[in-house]
Amino acid sequence: MLKASTTERSPDVRRPMMVSRGWVQAAALVILFGFAVLGFLAFRTYETGPPIADRVVSQDGKALFRGDDVIKGQKLFLKNGLMEYGSVLGHGAYLGPDFTADYLHRAALSVTRQYGGAASSTAQAKVIEDFKTNRYDEATKTLTYTAAQAVAFEELVTYYGNYFGPTSGEKGMRPDAITDPTQIRQLTSFFAWTAWSGSTLRPDKNYSYTNSWPPEPLVDNKPTANVMVWSVLSLIALLAGIGALFAAFGRWGERFGWKGRQADTISFRPPGDVVLTPAQRACAYYFLVVGLLFFIQVMVGAASEHYRADISSFFGFDLASWLPYNLVRTWHVQLSIFWTATSFLAAGIFLAPMITGREPRRQHWLAYILLGALALVVFGSMIGEALDIHGVLPDVLGAFGMQGWEYLDLGRFWQVLLTVGLFIWVIILFRGLRGRLRVESRGNMPWMFFYTALAIPAFYAVGLLTSSDDSFTIADFWRFMVVHLWVEDFLEIFTTVLVAYIFVMLGVVRERVALTVIFLDIILYSAGGVIGTMHHLYFSGSAAETMALGAFFSAMEVIPLTFLTVEAWSFLQLGARQESKSATPFPHRWAVMFLVSVGFWNFLGAGIFGFLVNLPIVSYYEIGTALTANHAHAAMMGVYGMLAMGLALFCLRYLIPTERWSDKLAKISFWSANIGLAWMSFATLLPLGILQLYASVNDGYFAARQLEFITNPTNSVFEWMRLPGDLVFIIGGVLPFLWLCWLGVRYRVGGSRDQLDEILFTEITEREPVEVGDR
Amino acid sequence: MALHPEALIVGGYAVILLVVAAALDWLAQHSQQRSERFRTAGFSYLPQHDAWTCSEDAMLWPMEYDELHHLVRYRAKASVCNSCLVKPSCTSSANGREVTRAVAPWPHSEAGRFHRGISMVLVGCAAVLQLVAAARHLEPSTLVLGLPMLFTIWLGIRYSAHFRAAPANFPEPTPATGLRVTQTSRTRWGSDAWEGK
Repeated sequence: MLKASTTERSPDVRRPMMVSRGWVQAAALVILFGFAVLGFLAFRTYETGPPIADRVVSQDGKALFRGDDVIKGQKLFLKNGLMEYGSVLGHGAYLGPDFTADYLHRAALSVTRQYGGAASSTAQAKVIEDFKTNRYDEATKTLTYTAAQAVAFEELVTYYGNYFGPTSGEKGMRPDAITDPTQIRQLTSFFAWTAWSGSTLRPDKNYSYTNSWPPEPLVDNKPTANVMVWSVLSLIALLAGIGALFAAFGRWGERFGWKGRQADTISFRPPGDVVLTPAQRACAYYFLVVGLLFFIQVMVGAASEHYRADISSFFGFDLASWLPYNLVRTWHVQLSIFWTATSFLAAGIFLAPMITGREPRRQHWLAYILLGALALVVFGSMIGEALDIHGVLPDVLGAFGMQGWEYLDLGRFWQVLLTVGLFIWVIILFRGLRGRLRVESRGNMPWMFFYTALAIPAFYAVGLLTSSDDSFTIADFWRFMVVHLWVEDFLEIFTTVLVAYIFVMLGVVRERVALTVIFLDIILYSAGGVIGTMHHLYFSGSAAETMALGAFFSAMEVIPLTFLTVEAWSFLQLGARQESKSATPFPHRWAVMFLVSVGFWNFLGAGIFGFLVNLPIVSYYEIGTALTANHAHAAMMGVYGMLAMGLALFCLRYLIPTERWSDKLAKISFWSANIGLAWMSFATLLPLGILQLYASVNDGYFAARQLEFITNPTNSVFEWMRLPGDLVFIIGGVLPFLWLCWLGVRYRVGGSRDQLDEILFTEITEREPVEVGDR
Repeated sequence: MALHPEALIVGGYAVILLVVAAALDWLAQHSQQRSERFRTAGFSYLPQHDAWTCSEDAMLWPMEYDELHHLVRYRAKASVCNSCLVKPSCTSSANGREVTRAVAPWPHSEAGRFHRGISMVLVGCAAVLQLVAAARHLEPSTLVLGLPMLFTIWLGIRYSAHFRAAPANFPEPTPATGLRVTQTSRTRWGSDAWEGK
């Protein structure tokens, strides 16, 4: 068994790999293939992104704006947190408009008026020609606007001057958010550039730089052949793939899995008997931070939801002047990553000594340093963001303020510090695991634990390539390396290893089965998931093949994911199915129930709701609507949130003395969090998303993203419908959890560095033989 | 009188919710069965004999009713298992391989209660949405909502039945489940003991 290997083997003999080498080879091949294609697409993105002209002039030679203004406008857009208010090219927040579609629609209306209005027989064709013709001169890097487009630009400078100036307070932004005329002009230049990319045909192509997104009848922007063909192809491939999957299951299903193995008769070690190391005890403080951040996250989330239900007043209180929508939204998305990641980090630190059986000297010092660094990053970045959105942070301190990319909002300084912190965390794990790694084959579970942990800082570091100085298209490409590849793939794989390890320690599965599940997970996620990252980048200015490959692979991703999520759904239920004869009660009832809910939300929130918005033709009309928010909440809270809570409860069960532990609070928290989330999704986000998608196809994307639509009476009813579910979530789900986290610090059990036992149960040998006669 | 579009939207959405609730419930039940595979793959249950056969065609007979977990334990003959070639991949026990079967229907398991709970939330959501829509448009045509409402009530009663009838199936001895609960017993012929009660 596990324990024998660590104690009995001499250090230079490694325990052989527990599964076939084929698993490692398959995983390596799949990952290499994925990243080779991704590298090619990165190269193509640099090559084919929409150019930023050095000078933009009108036909009569008057200078309108410069390339410099576009980049400065982009920086202003990010620094003022406008990507957390509205969106550009579909990416950002959903209260405000999509500024690309907004500029394009308003400019097209203006040009139409100048050509004689909608009633004129020739106006429409002339407008389309104005916006579609590519007048960018590569040689002189000059872009020429028609006279009418130039007039429209000037009109929109005035319009946005009013929008971000005197009237910004009533739209959920800080009152008088941007008043400097130069800045307004730069901001408008940035919007104009995105709108130009959206409507102007690529050289020698009949679609625009953004695959003709946004949908806008005035300039004849409609789904391109690529959008249609790849949607259909990926759907057909999906159906064929699912058919193949079922066929394979019918044929080899029995053999494919693993032979059912008997659950052993075990006795769970009561939590009070498990001796904790100093580093494990340090985790109590981590979980208190987790609980606090979770609480803050839902409170700012509730505030941002209130803006959607009732934008102008917060029960008679002028919230926008203190906590404008873009600030609460920034905090909400940043904290969603911070609190869940903190829980995963702590769980990693907590498990390492259990895996190795001992802990190196002063490991807890490192753990406390990391916690300090994390707290500094979290609260430092939040303060910086607040100062920047309120416009009081001097430019020299820009690195501490708002970087502004959605999900990478934290300032550059904090981003670097966080990356360093994650590397420290890997060092902590390596120190802790070293004793065990030495005696294990490099394909066994302790190594998988280490590799998948190492991938976390490595891929978070890729986010440093996201630069506000690059064009939006390129920066967005790197941003999704963090938002998708890091959050959705590498964290997922690491947490799979964590959970599999916990199941091994609890005697739920054998190590071999757990390792098989891990490899299966890596292969299946990487097969579609790595290239599937591109499904975020259909319309942000990347080449058409980005959309083609992204659509195809992320649709194909559904096949293994269906299998995997259903498999994980069943796998995660194993913990809850206690059938062993155990002399002591199973101590982790609610921790494993959280894992059951992870399996469920993984299937529904990530799988079903994710695929709902994945096909290019759906995404074309849907991007930036409540249907995306529906997927984001059900997947992020449903999978990562529930997992973070489950891992926290697992560890807290050992940190809190048995007599202080409350199964009842854990139960209330479990039910409330799940009921609240299901209610949020089905009472509000899903129906709102469907209504908004309908409006987008029927009345146009521009109309569907306007405040007038979002706050119309029917939508308001659905928004208010959320209230009971949100109350259940906050009062019943978050507060009891926070209290348990507090108990962990308040009554933290004592510890020692040795006498550790890696397995949380003891096997009982069956003594009395059972008589079985003939029948 | 024309039906208000909002009532129509809500009525339609309520029906969708109910269908989703039923679909999720069915899928969850299915995933639970797959979950069993981790322990029972290669074994098949013969209901008419109340016994299992293994991949090597040995029989496993009921040995014991586990009152704590509400399941029946089946065991193969030790002599058969101990001489079996595939024993290492099957069991480490010297007393023959054991397989269990839950006697309580699916919603009584821990995971079952959770999934039923989620389906119940959707049913509740459908009910509240319809009530709100009806209250907002108090006019005769809104009576159309009565039909999905009846459906909602029916599904609500159906799904809540298990919650009302039985407490959780987690190790807390509860004799009052309406199930066939016997004393913990270790008998030679579990099925005999069983059917006699």
